Amino acid sequence: LKRSSAQLNEVIVVGYGQSQKREVSGSISKVGGSELQNQPVQSFESALQGKAPGVVIENSSGKLGQGIKVRIRGTASISASTQPLYVIDGVPLTTSSQSDINNEPTNPLIDLNPSDIESVDILKDAAAAAIYGARAANGVVLITTKKGTRNNKSTIELNSSVGFSNPTKKRGFLNAREYVDALRAAATNDGRYEFQNGNPTGYASEQDAIDDYVGFVETELLDYYSLGTDWRNAATDVNWEDEQYRENALSTQLDLSVRGGNDKTRFYASGFYSDQEAIIVNNVFKRYGGRLNLEHFLTSSTSIGMNVTVSRSQLDRVSSDAAFSTPGQLMAQIPISPLIDPATNDLNANTLYANGLFDAKYNSDKQVTYRTIGNIFAQIQLVPSLFFRSELGADILNMTQNSFSDKRTQDGQGVGFGQFFSSQNVSYNTNNYFSFSPDISSSVKLTALLGMSYLQNDVLTSSEQGQNFPSAAVKNLSGATNIVFGSSSEDRYNFLSYFFRTNLVLRDKFLLGLSIRADGSSRFGSNNRFGYFPAASAGWILSDENFLKNSNALSYLKLRASVGLTGNAEIGEQQFRDLFVVSNYPNLAGFVPVQLGDPDLRWEKTIQYDAGIEFGFFNNRLSGELDVYLKKTRDLLLAVNVPSTNGYFDNVNFTNQILRNLGRLENKGIELLLNGRIIERTNLSWNANFNIAFNRNRIQDIDGQIIEGSFVYSRAMEGEPIGAFFMQKFIGVDPATGDALYLGEDDKPTADYSLAKRTVVGNPNPDFTGGFGTNLNLHAFDANVFFTFVSGNEVFNDAGRFMSSGFGNGFDNQTREIINAWKNPGDITAVPRSGFSYSTGHRISTRWLYDGSYIRLRQLSLGYTIKPKKAVQSIRFFVAGMNVWTKTKYISDPEVNTLGTQRTTVSNITSGIDFYTIPQPRTFSVGLNVKL
Amino acid sequence: MRKHVTILIISLMCVCCNKKLDVTPANALTPSQIQTEEDVFALLFGGYSTLQNANAFGEMYNTLPELIISDDDLNWAGTFSDYDDVFNRNQIANNFTIYQVWANGYHTINIANTVLSKLDVVAEDKRDLVSGEAKFLRGVVYFQLVNLFAQPYSSVNAATSPGVPLILEPVEGYDPQRDQLTRASVEEIYTQVISDLDEAVNNLPDEADNARASRFSAAAFLSRVHLMQENYAEAAQNANEVIESGAFSLASSFDKAFNNPSNSSEDVFAIQQTSQSNSGTSNFGIITFYAAYPVGRGEMQVTEEHLQKYEVNDVRGQFFYEGSSISGSQGLMTAKWSQPYSVIPVIRLAEMYLTRAEANFRLGTELGASPLEDVNVIRTRSELTPLSSITTVDQIIGERFLELAFEGDKFLTSKRLRLTVRGLPYNDAKLVFPIPQREIDLNNATPQNPGY
Repeated sequence: LKRSSAQLNEVIVVGYGQSQKREVSGSISKVGGSELQNQPVQSFESALQGKAPGVVIENSSGKLGQGIKVRIRGTASISASTQPLYVIDGVPLTTSSQSDINNEPTNPLIDLNPSDIESVDILKDAAAAAIYGARAANGVVLITTKKGTRNNKSTIELNSSVGFSNPTKKRGFLNAREYVDALRAAATNDGRYEFQNGNPTGYASEQDAIDDYVGFVETELLDYYSLGTDWRNAATDVNWEDEQYRENALSTQLDLSVRGGNDKTRFYASGFYSDQEAIIVNNVFKRYGGRLNLEHFLTSSTSIGMNVTVSRSQLDRVSSDAAFSTPGQLMAQIPISPLIDPATNDLNANTLYANGLFDAKYNSDKQVTYRTIGNIFAQIQLVPSLFFRSELGADILNMTQNSFSDKRTQDGQGVGFGQFFSSQNVSYNTNNYFSFSPDISSSVKLTALLGMSYLQNDVLTSSEQGQNFPSAAVKNLSGATNIVFGSSSEDRYNFLSYFFRTNLVLRDKFLLGLSIRADGSSRFGSNNRFGYFPAASAGWILSDENFLKNSNALSYLKLRASVGLTGNAEIGEQQFRDLFVVSNYPNLAGFVPVQLGDPDLRWEKTIQYDAGIEFGFFNNRLSGELDVYLKKTRDLLLAVNVPSTNGYFDNVNFTNQILRNLGRLENKGIELLLNGRIIERTNLSWNANFNIAFNRNRIQDIDGQIIEGSFVYSRAMEGEPIGAFFMQKFIGVDPATGDALYLGEDDKPTADYSLAKRTVVGNPNPDFTGGFGTNLNLHAFDANVFFTFVSGNEVFNDAGRFMSSGFGNGFDNQTREIINAWKNPGDITAVPRSGFSYSTGHRISTRWLYDGSYIRLRQLSLGYTIKPKKAVQSIRFFVAGMNVWTKTKYISDPEVNTLGTQRTTVSNITSGIDFYTIPQPRTFSVGLNVKL
Repeated sequence: MRKHVTILIISLMCVCCNKKLDVTPANALTPSQIQTEEDVFALLFGGYSTLQNANAFGEMYNTLPELIISDDDLNWAGTFSDYDDVFNRNQIANNFTIYQVWANGYHTINIANTVLSKLDVVAEDKRDLVSGEAKFLRGVVYFQLVNLFAQPYSSVNAATSPGVPLILEPVEGYDPQRDQLTRASVEEIYTQVISDLDEAVNNLPDEADNARASRFSAAAFLSRVHLMQENYAEAAQNANEVIESGAFSLASSFDKAFNNPSNSSEDVFAIQQTSQSNSGTSNFGIITFYAAYPVGRGEMQVTEEHLQKYEVNDVRGQFFYEGSSISGSQGLMTAKWSQPYSVIPVIRLAEMYLTRAEANFRLGTELGASPLEDVNVIRTRSELTPLSSITTVDQIIGERFLELAFEGDKFLTSKRLRLTVRGLPYNDAKLVFPIPQREIDLNNATPQNPGY
C-alpha cells in the first residue's frame, strides 16, 4: 500500500488552492510538465492532445501559431466563446486572438514557454470548475509554473533540440501529361454534350464540336499558359503543390533554467529561445524570453513573492486559406505553367491564377507580441488554522502587426499595400482570500475558503492602411503615399466576484464539497448584472470500508458525484445596448444604428452532473478513473436573427441579430482513463496508459432557427450536433450520361442539382477521442510512444469544388481521382463526367465529405542518459518524432479546421472544413537535456 | 492585532464597488446620446453613407440588376456563387448578397424615419430641409427595393401585387411582434415614393453642398418613378425641370462623365468616394467587380456582342479596355467603373435628355425640346452624326441602352417596356429577386415571391 499512496497523495491544483488527489470529489485531469517538454509545438495545449480524456484539442492548420480549438466535454455554446478559461498561477489569461481580423485567428498562448510549466490541471466537472463561476462553463485549465524549493541545492537544466518538419500528407495532383489528357477529355465531353443536347449548335458533326472545344483549350489555355514551352511533350512539368512547402523546415529550441532555494527564499529562473519554420514558405515563429518565480519568507508565517514571465514572440504570417495569394492555393496552378517565364527570366506572372510565389517572395506580414504575465503575492498565516493570501496580477499583451504587399503581387493591387495594426490588451486582476483549516478532530477534516477577485481588461487597438508605395524599399506606412484607413478602438470589461468553498473529509473516507461564486460583469446591463454559481459534490472511499479492506485485488475504490452550475459570458462588450456607430461619408460625418440590444441579457448557464469511479487494482499497479457526465446549457447567449426591416443593420459583419438568452443544448459523455505500471524494477520500468472519451452534443432548442457557419452547409439546428453538415447527397454517377446523381426531394436519384434535397449528412464532432501510450526505461535508455485517435467525425473538403470537380469550377489542376472520371456510356465509376462548359457534380455535395477518423503516432522518443560523477548530474540525448504515422481515410491531413473568421458564432459552428488547409507537420528532432 | 488585520482585509475586499461594472461604450453611441440638432444632422448624413455602401449604389444596386437582366451584354467571370447564381437566374432565397441589399435598404429607411421623428430638436428654419432630405433618402430606397423585390409596375395590378413592407416609423428597441410585417402593395409603395420625393422637391434647395440631394436630385428620381409607371407626362415634366434648371451641363466629352474625384457638371445625383470612404476595393464595391485585375477583380466582363451595338465612330464604343479577372479570365471591361475612389454617378443629365425625348415622343409633345433635338444632344457629345429624324421610339431606347449601359438602367427599362430578356419574359418570376429567406423564416415581409 505504500506505493499507491504516493500516487493518491499527488497534489491536485484546484481553484485558489490545492488538494490531495484522494480527497478531491470533482473531476480533474492532471498532466505533468514533463509531458509538455521537448515537443516541437508552439503552445502547450498542442502537446496535451490526447492526454486527458474529454479534452479535445484540434490544431486548425499546419500554419504556425494559429488558433487551436480546445473543447472540454463538448461545445457548450453557440454564440459565446467555447474555449476554456486558462489561469496561470492565479492570473486569468487573454486567449482570444488579437490579430488582424482579415486573417485567421492566432493563439495568444504561444507566448508561454511550455518548459516552464510544472503541471496542467484541467477542471472538468462543475464541482471543480464552479469556483470560477461565470467563466467556467467551458472548463478551466489551471497552469502551474515551476517553483524552487527551500533548502535545496540549485539545479541548472539545459534543454536543447533541433528538428525538421515536412507535411504529413500531400494531396497529389496531375502531372503535365495527365493534366493535358484530362483537359482534352473534358473538352471532348463538352463538345459531344453540346452537339447532342445543346441548342442549335451550328456544328456539322459531333467531331466538329469536339474539335472546336479541344481546339479552344489547346490555344486559349495550353498554348497561352505554357509560355511557348512544348506542352504537348510535357516540356514544362511543375508540381505546384510542392512549391508551397519548404523542404525540411527547421526548428530549434533552447531552454535554460535554474531552480533552488535557501531557508528563506526559493526561486525558479529560466530563459527560453525557440525558432520554428512552418512547413509552408514564409511562415516562421520565434519566441524568446524569461521567467522568474520567487518567494521570500519574511517570517515563518509571512511570505511575499512573484511569478513573472516576459517574452517576445514573432510570427511571420501568410494570408488566409481563402486568399488567392496564400501559398496553400499554389496547388491550383496548372503543371504546364513554367515557374520561371523564359521571356523575362523572372517568376512567371502569367499563370492561371495570380502567382502566389510573387506574394511569397515580396510580401511580409510580421506580428510581434511582447507579453508580460505575472503576479506579486503576499501570504500571511494569521493563526495556525487561517491564512490570508492576496495576489495582484497582470497579463499585458502588446502586439503589433506590420504587413506589406508589394505592387508586383496580387495583394498589392498594382500599387503596393501596407497595414499596421496594434493592440494593447491589459488585464489586471486581484485575488484575495482566506483559507481556513481548523484542527477539529482526527476524523473530521474541514477546509474552507472565502474570497473575492476583481478583473479588469482594457483593450486599445489601432489600425492603419496605406497604398501607393513608390518603392518596395520602404515597407512601413511611411512609404505609403495614400493613407486609406485609420482607426482606433477602446474596450473594457470587468468581473467582480465573491467566492466561498468548503470541503469536509469525514473519517478519511467520506468527502463533501460545497462552493458558490457570485459574479458581476460589465457585460450585462444593471438588470441582470450578477449571477450565482453553486456546486456540490460528495465522495466515498469504499476501499477503506471493512468489507473491502482485505480484498487482494482491489486496492483503491472511490465513488464520487457532483452537480453544479457554471456560466459563460464570453460575448464581447456592450452587447446589451442599442448602439449607433460613426459613419464616414466624404464631408458628411454621421452616425448609423448598428445594434439592437436586450437590456435583460444575462449569463448563459450550464448545469452539469458528473458521477465517477476511481479505482486501483493489484496494489494500484492498474489504476483508473471512469466518469459519466451530463452537461445541460440553457439560456444560451444566442445571436438571434431579427427581421432586417428593423433597420439596425451591422454593415460591417452584414448581420441583423440581437444577442438574447434563448435556447438549450446538451453534452453528455463517458470518459475512461487507465494507467498500468507493468514492471517496476530498479533498472527496468514499463508503464502504459490509455484513455478514451465519448461525447454527444445536441442542440435541443434554438427557437426553430437555423444558424449557419462560415459556409452555408455548416449549421446549428435543433436536434443536431453543432456544426452538422447539411448539404446535397451525392449518390453516384449515371453510367449512361456520366452525370452526377443526387438524392432528390422524392428520395429518387436526380441529375438536376436544383432538385436535390439538402439533409443532415454528417457531423464534424467525433464520437470518441483518446490516446494511448507506453514508456519504457531500461538502464540508461528510455523510450516513449504515444498514439492519439479520433473517430466518427466527418471532414468536408470545400476546395473539392475546385481541385476535384473535373474543371467544373475552373481550369485548376486536379487531384488524381479525376483520372477515373466517366468517359463513355456504360462506364461504372464514382467520378462524374468532367467538363468546363457542361459541368456536372461540381457543386457542394457529399462528393467531398469524408470520414475524418484517424489514429496517429503522435509522439515517439528514444533517449539515452549518462550520469557522469562530477558536476554534471545527468545528460540525456534523445531523438523524437511527432505525427510520425497517421492512418486515415481522409485525402489530406485529417486534423483540419478552416477557422476563416474570428466571429465567435460562426467559428463555433464552422468545424471539420478543409479549404486549402495546410496539413500538420511531421517532425523529427534530436536533442539534449543536461542537468547540473 | 491579528483581528485588526483581518477586519482591515475584509473591508478592503468589499471596497471594490459595483460601480466599476458600469462601462460606457467607447466606440459607439447609445440612443440617449442623440439629442441635439447636430446629432440629427449626423444621423441624416449617416443615411448617405448607407447609400454609398456596396449594398446600395456603391455596387449592388448596379451589379445585381445588371447581372440578372444581362442577355448578350455582360458575362459573369467570377467565383462568387451569389453573383453567379443571379447571372444564371438560379438565385435562391438564401442568397446572402440579396439579403445584404434588403437589409441595407431598411437600414437607410430606419435612419430616415428616425430623423423624421426628431425634427422637434431641429431649429424651425431647418426643419423643412432636414425633413425633405430624409424623405429623399427614404423615397429613393423604397423605389430601389420595390423594383428589385416585387413585380414591375408595368406587369401587374399594382394595387394588389405585393411590394415590400412599408415602415414609416422609427424602430427603437426590440419587439419581436412589431417586426412581423406583411408586404404593402406595389401601388402603396409607389405612392409613398412619390409623396416623399414630392416633398423633397418642395423642400430641398436648388443647390446643395457636399453633393447632398438638391431639389433637382429629387426631381430626377421622380422622373424615373413616373417613367416606370409609364406616366410619361409627369416624367417629361420632371426631366424638363432638371434640364431647364441650368444647374447641370453635359460633360465636355463622354469619358469625363466618369471616374471623377468630385461631381461632374452632369451629375444630378452621385455617390461620393475617397480613398478613406468608399464602397470597397477587394471583395465589394462597384470597382471591385467591373475594373480589371489588379485594380478590381475584373469579373463583370462586357461581351463582343455589346461592342457591336455601337456605331463605328461612337466614342462610347471605345470606352472599353482589355483586361483579366482575378482568376485569369481575359475579357473586355467597361471604363465607366475603372478608377477606384471616384464619384459614382447615380443620375446623369444625359438620362434626363433621353427620358424627356422618349416621353415627348410617346406623347407627341415637345416639352422643352423636340425628341430629335434631345437625342442629338446625346449623339453629338458622343461624336456621332446627328439624326435627321426620329421615326420610332426604339431609336430613343437604343440610344438609352448605349448611353446608360452598365449603369443599372437596363433592368428598369427592360421591365417597363416588357422586353424579353435572354428568352425570359420581362415579368418572369426569376427576374424578381426573392425576399430573403431569413425574413420569411422570421415570418416577416410575407408573402415570398413566386418561384422561391
